[in-house]
Amino acid sequence: MSNAQQSVTQQSTGAEEINKAQLAAVLQILKKYNLKNTEELLKKEANISDGIGTQGTLQKDSNVNSVLTGYKSDGDPETYANSYRELKFFVEDSLDIYKHELGMILYPVLVHMYLELVYNGHSEKAVALMNSFGPEQDTYYQEDLKKLAMVTKREHMSGNELADTFKSNQFIIRMSRDTLSLLKRHLNDKKASVLLNIIQEHLYFDMYEGVARNKSQIDATSGAVGGEAKRQDNKAKVYYGIPKAPDIQTLAAPVEEEEGEGGEQDNPEKKYMILKKKKAKKDPLFSKKTKSDPNAPPPDRIPAPDLKDNDKLEKVKAIREASRRVTLGQETQLSVCCYTLLNSNNTVCCAEITEDSSMLAVGFNDCIVKVWSLVPQKLKALKSAQQLQDVNIDAEDLMVRIMNERSGEVSRTLTGHSGPVYSVSFSPDRTLLLSCSEDSTIRMWSLQMWTCLVVYKGHLFPVWDVKFSPLGYYFATASHDRTARLWATDHYSPLRLFAGHFSDVDCIQFHPNSNYVATGSSDRRVCLWDCTTGNHVRLMTGHKAPIHSLAFSTCGRFLSSSGADCRVLIWDLSHGHLVAELTGHEKPVHTLAFSRCGNILCSGGLDCSLKVWDFSKITEDISSEEVNVSHNPDVKTGDQYLLRDFATKSSPLIHLHFTRRNLLLAVATFDGSNP
Amino acid sequence: MSSKVHDNDLYGTNFSVESIKVIAESIGIANLQDEAAKELSDEISFRLKHIIQDAAKFMHHGKRAKLMPTDIDCALRAKNIEPQHGFQSSEYLPFRFASGGGRELHFLEEAEVDLNDLIQNSNPKAPYEVTLRTHWLSIDGIQPTIPENPPPASKAMQKLESVDPINKKPQKETSGKPTTGKQKLKNIETVQIKQLATHELSVEQQLYYKEITEACVGSDEARRGEALQSLASDPGLHEMLPRMCTFIIEGVRVNVVQNNLALLIYLMRMVKALLDNQSLYLEKYLHELIPAVTTCIVSKQLCTRPEFDNHWALRDFASRLMAQICKNFNTSTNNIQTRITRMFTNALNQGDKMPLSSMYGALQALSELGPEVVRIFVLPRVKIIGSCIEHHLEGPTISNVDKIASGHIKQLIIKSLVPVLKSVRSPPDYIEEYKQDYGYFGASLNAGVLKARTQPNMTALTTCSNVNTPSSITSVASTISRPLATPTIIQQNNISGRTIVMNPGVGRVATQGTNQKIVFVTQRSQSSTVQNQNQQTPSTQQNTVVKLVSSSTTPVQHKIVNSQQKMVFVGMQNNTTVNNQTSGLLSPGSQQNMSFMMQKNNVNSHKIINDSFSHIDDLSHME
Repeated sequence: MSNAQQSVTQQSTGAEEINKAQLAAVLQILKKYNLKNTEELLKKEANISDGIGTQGTLQKDSNVNSVLTGYKSDGDPETYANSYRELKFFVEDSLDIYKHELGMILYPVLVHMYLELVYNGHSEKAVALMNSFGPEQDTYYQEDLKKLAMVTKREHMSGNELADTFKSNQFIIRMSRDTLSLLKRHLNDKKASVLLNIIQEHLYFDMYEGVARNKSQIDATSGAVGGEAKRQDNKAKVYYGIPKAPDIQTLAAPVEEEEGEGGEQDNPEKKYMILKKKKAKKDPLFSKKTKSDPNAPPPDRIPAPDLKDNDKLEKVKAIREASRRVTLGQETQLSVCCYTLLNSNNTVCCAEITEDSSMLAVGFNDCIVKVWSLVPQKLKALKSAQQLQDVNIDAEDLMVRIMNERSGEVSRTLTGHSGPVYSVSFSPDRTLLLSCSEDSTIRMWSLQMWTCLVVYKGHLFPVWDVKFSPLGYYFATASHDRTARLWATDHYSPLRLFAGHFSDVDCIQFHPNSNYVATGSSDRRVCLWDCTTGNHVRLMTGHKAPIHSLAFSTCGRFLSSSGADCRVLIWDLSHGHLVAELTGHEKPVHTLAFSRCGNILCSGGLDCSLKVWDFSKITEDISSEEVNVSHNPDVKTGDQYLLRDFATKSSPLIHLHFTRRNLLLAVATFDGSNP
Repeated sequence: MSSKVHDNDLYGTNFSVESIKVIAESIGIANLQDEAAKELSDEISFRLKHIIQDAAKFMHHGKRAKLMPTDIDCALRAKNIEPQHGFQSSEYLPFRFASGGGRELHFLEEAEVDLNDLIQNSNPKAPYEVTLRTHWLSIDGIQPTIPENPPPASKAMQKLESVDPINKKPQKETSGKPTTGKQKLKNIETVQIKQLATHELSVEQQLYYKEITEACVGSDEARRGEALQSLASDPGLHEMLPRMCTFIIEGVRVNVVQNNLALLIYLMRMVKALLDNQSLYLEKYLHELIPAVTTCIVSKQLCTRPEFDNHWALRDFASRLMAQICKNFNTSTNNIQTRITRMFTNALNQGDKMPLSSMYGALQALSELGPEVVRIFVLPRVKIIGSCIEHHLEGPTISNVDKIASGHIKQLIIKSLVPVLKSVRSPPDYIEEYKQDYGYFGASLNAGVLKARTQPNMTALTTCSNVNTPSSITSVASTISRPLATPTIIQQNNISGRTIVMNPGVGRVATQGTNQKIVFVTQRSQSSTVQNQNQQTPSTQQNTVVKLVSSSTTPVQHKIVNSQQKMVFVGMQNNTTVNNQTSGLLSPGSQQNMSFMMQKNNVNSHKIINDSFSHIDDLSHME
C-alpha cells in the first residue's frame, strides 16, 4: 500500500518535471530552426528565464531524445514473453470479481511490450510475442493490433499514427481501489522490471471506490484507442438544455410600430402580414412558452447574430408549420419519402436537406456540389448588376424582386473544389451553403448568386465534415489532421481549435443550443467541446470502430452516435454515460436523425435498411433509474426498442431528415451493381 | 504477386522476396541480393499497407464499401506523394490465376490499347447524369410494393416457406405490416396459435387477380401487354402466385379440350411472364406448370383446324419455355433437365403409335435443350422418324394434315441436325453414307451440311432465327385468332362499384374518365352481379352461340349468357358444381373471341385430359 501511494506522489511531482523538460526540449527545437520570435514568446509565456534555457542547452540532445523516445530499455528481450505470460496467469488466477478489471491491462501491456521490443531492434521477438498473444485479445482490439503489427522497424514507428499515440499518451484504465491494490501487490512481489516500467510509464489508473466491474460493463466502455475516459474528463457541467426561444412576439412588436407610422399606405401584402402577426399574438402556440430549462445555458453565453426581419418571418412560419406536426410513436406510424439518386454509381459522398425541406444538396466524388429544389419553386439566381440598379430598394418584396424570374432551374451545380466533396451544410436562412473537400478547404457558396463566396483555408489535410450552427454565423469542421475547428463566416481563420483526438475527426455536430460541438473520431471516442472555452467537457468511449455520424436528441440531453461497428450508441450528456446500445445494422451506419417530436430515432447505412427506434421508450427507461457521476447505469440493449425496419432496393442510405411535420425524407444512392 | 507467409498471423501478407527480385529485374537491376530484397519487401509492404489503410478512410467518407483507385490517389496526395495516373476502376477486377511448378500467381490481365483505335474511334459515351427519383418508402408504416422498393418477401424467404412452412414466422412486428391492436392485447394473456399459412387475399389483391387474368386471356392486345408486363415485373405477386398457377393449369386443361389455340398461347405467355419475374420463387409450382407446358408441346391437337392453324408456333414457344425452365431451375437435386429430356425421349420411342404433331413437339422440345441433347437423343432416332414420315410425304396423299405435319418435322429435323452433324461428322460428306446412316433424311441432311460448310454464317443465321423472341408469337397469335375487335370495356354508370387499381403501373383504369370500371370479385355472391350484367347486356343478343366447356359427361350446370362467341367462365372455387354465371358484356357485333374458363373439380378435368391424351399419359406426369 505504501508503495502505491508513493508511486502516486511520484507521478504528481514527476509531472511537473516532465513539463519543464518538455518545454526545454521545445525551446531547443525552436532554436535549432532559428525561430527566434516564437522562442522568445514562449519563454515569456512560460515564465522561463534565459537561465533555464541555457540550462536546457547544457542538457542537450539527451533531453530531446528522452522526450521523443519513451521506449529506450535495456531489458533482456527474452524476458518479455515470460513476464507477459506471468501477468496473464496472474489475471486468470485471480478472483472472478477482479479478473475482468485486471484483464484490461493485458492489451496495453502487450502493445507497449511489442513497441519496446521493436524500438530496441528485436523485431523477431516482437513478432513472436504478437503472434502468440495477439489473437487472444478482445475482438475489438484486433484491428489495431493488425495495424500495429505492420510496424516492425524502429524507423516505421515515427509517423505511425497508432505507435505515436501509444508512445505519447498514457493508456487510461479505470479500476476499483481493491483491484488496483491487488495489482500493485502482485507487481511488488514479482519485481518484474519490464512490466513495472511499462505500467508506471504508459498506464494511468483512474481509481474509483466501489465494486469491481464485470465483463459486460467493461466491454461497454472499452475499445477506444487511448483507453477509457477519466472521470475527471466528464466532471464539468454541461448546459445541455435548450434556452427559451427568443420571443418572437416582442420581436414582432417593432414591425407593428412601423406599421403604425405608415398605416395609411395601402399595401395589402403588408396588411396580411400584420394580420398574421396579430393572429399570432392570440395563438396559444406563442403564449404557451416552455418554462426556462434549468440546464439551459444563459442566452448570451455564446454571442448570436441579430435576427433579421426575414429570419423572424421564417421563425413564425416554422412554428406555424410545427403546430401541424404529427407526433410519432408506437401508434402513429412513420411515413418515409425516399429520394433515390440514380446513375450515381459510387460518386456520391454526402447529401443534406435544408431545415425547411425545400432543397437538397449533394456532394460528389468528382469535386462538384449539386443542389436540387424539392419543392415546385425553382432555384432562381440574382439579377445582373445592371438590372439590380432598377430595383426599388424600398420595396416590401425586395427579396423577390431581386431574383431573376426567368432563371429558375430544378437543379444547379456548384463547381470549384479540387477534390471529393465530403460534406455540405446549408445555413439556417438557406442563402448560404458550406462544403468541405479532400482539397483541405471549406468553401462557402451563395445560393442566390450560385457562386463561391469564400474559401476558408486552415486545415492541413482533407476536411471530413462541416456543419453550420443552428444560429447561423458559426460553423464547425472536422478534419484528417486530427483537429476540429470552429469558424465564423466573417473570419478567415478559425475561432477555436479543438485538438485532442488521437486520429481523424470524422464527424461533427452542433448541439441544438449552439454552445457545444460534438466530434466523433477514428480513435473511437466521442468528445463534446465547449465552444466558448474550447475545452472538452465530455469524453465518451465505447465505440469499437470509427464513428461516422452523430445526432443530438431534440431535448439536447442525449447524443447518439454510430459508425463502422454497425451499432448506434446513445449517450447521456449530463454525466457522459453510455445509456443504450442499439444493434441490428449489418453494415456501417452513416446517418442518424431524431424526429422533430423527439420520440423516434432513425438510422440508416450501407446495409440498405432504415431502422426506426423508439427513443421515447429509451428515455422513459432511463429516467426511472438513478444515475450519478460514478455509477454507470446498465446499458440498455436489445430489440425492444426497434419499431420498424424498412429495406430499400439495394440503395445505401446517406442522409435522413425529418420535415417540420415529421415526415421522414431519406436520401439514398441506387447501386445497380449488386441487385 | 504476394504470398501468404502464414495462414493466421497478424501480419497478413508481405511481398515475397522473389517478387521484389522480379520487379528489380524489370527495371534493370540484375542481381539483387537476398538481404536487400528482404529489406525492400518489408519496407514496401509497410508503406503500401499504410497507404491502403489511409485510402480506406477516404472510402469510408465516400460512404462506399468498395475501395477505388481515387481513394488511393487521395491517400497518396495526403502523404504528399504524386498520385498514380491512368488507373481506372472497372466494375470488378478480374484477377487471373495461374499456377505451375508449385507456385501460384494472381495477375491482372491488361489489354494493350492500340493508340490508333483510340484516336480514330469517336469519343466514348458520356456517363448518365445523376438524377433524382422520388418515391414512398413507407406510407403510415406500410411499405408500398412498387418497383422502387424491394419485394416484400425475398426469394430466399419464399423458398424457406415452401420447404419448411412451419418455420414461417408470424409476421415479425418490425417488418411488413404495422402492428395494430398490440396495445389492447397487452393485459390479456395471449396464446399464440401458429397459423401455417394464410391464403386470404385482400380485396385489392382479388381485384388485381381478376383484372390481370381477364386482361391476359381477353381480346385487347394492348391490355394484355400491360398485364403481362405487370406479371413479369411486379415485386409483390408471391401471395397470388398459387392462384395464378392454378389459373394457367386449369386454363390449359380446359382449352386443350376446346382446341382453343389462341387461349393456349395467351396462357403460355403468362407462364413466360411469371418466369421472367425476378422476385418470384417459382420452384414451388413447377410440378404443376411443367405438365401444362408439356401439354402445349405434345398435345395431339391444339387447334380446331389442324390444316390451317399455326399450332406449330405454340409448340415452338412452349418448347422455348421448357428450355428456359430447365435453364433456370435445374439443380443437382431436382434433375429437371434430365427428367424432361427422358420424358420427351420416351415419347419418341413410341414410334408409329404417336401422332405426328406430338412427335413434332417432342422433337422441338429436345432441340431447344441444346445441340448436345440433339446429338445424343435425336440423332440415333432419325432413321426411324424418317421411315415414319416418308410415306406421308412421298406416298399418295392420304391425309393432308399428316402431310403438313411431316413437312414440319422434316424442316425441324434438318434445322436442328445440320449444325450438330456439321460438328460431328468430318468432311467429305458422301450422300450414300448419309442415306445409310439417316435413311430418308440422308439426302436433305447431306445437302444442308454441305451448304453449311460452304457458308459458315448461314448456320449461325438459322440458329439465330430459331431463338425467337416472344414477340413473334404475338404476331402469330393475332393471325391465328379471328380479327380482333377494338377494346371493349364493361361500362356501368349507376352502380356503386368501386374502382380499385392494384398496380399504378398498369394505370389503365385511370384513363376511363367518367366511365366507371367495375370488376367483380368472384368470391362474392353471384346473384347481384348477374343482375347487373343482365341489365347491361346489349340488346343484340339473339343468335349467340355459346359453347360449353366440357364435352364430357360431367354434370356441370351451366347457365349461359350469350354473346357471339363461346364463353367459358372461371370461378376460383373448387366446388364441384359451378353454377354458372354470366359473362362479360361485349359491345354488340364485336367479333370477340373472349373466353373465360371454368375450373371444374379435379376429377373431371383429369378425366378429360386423360381421354384426349392417353398417348402422352406418362408424359404429363413428371415421374
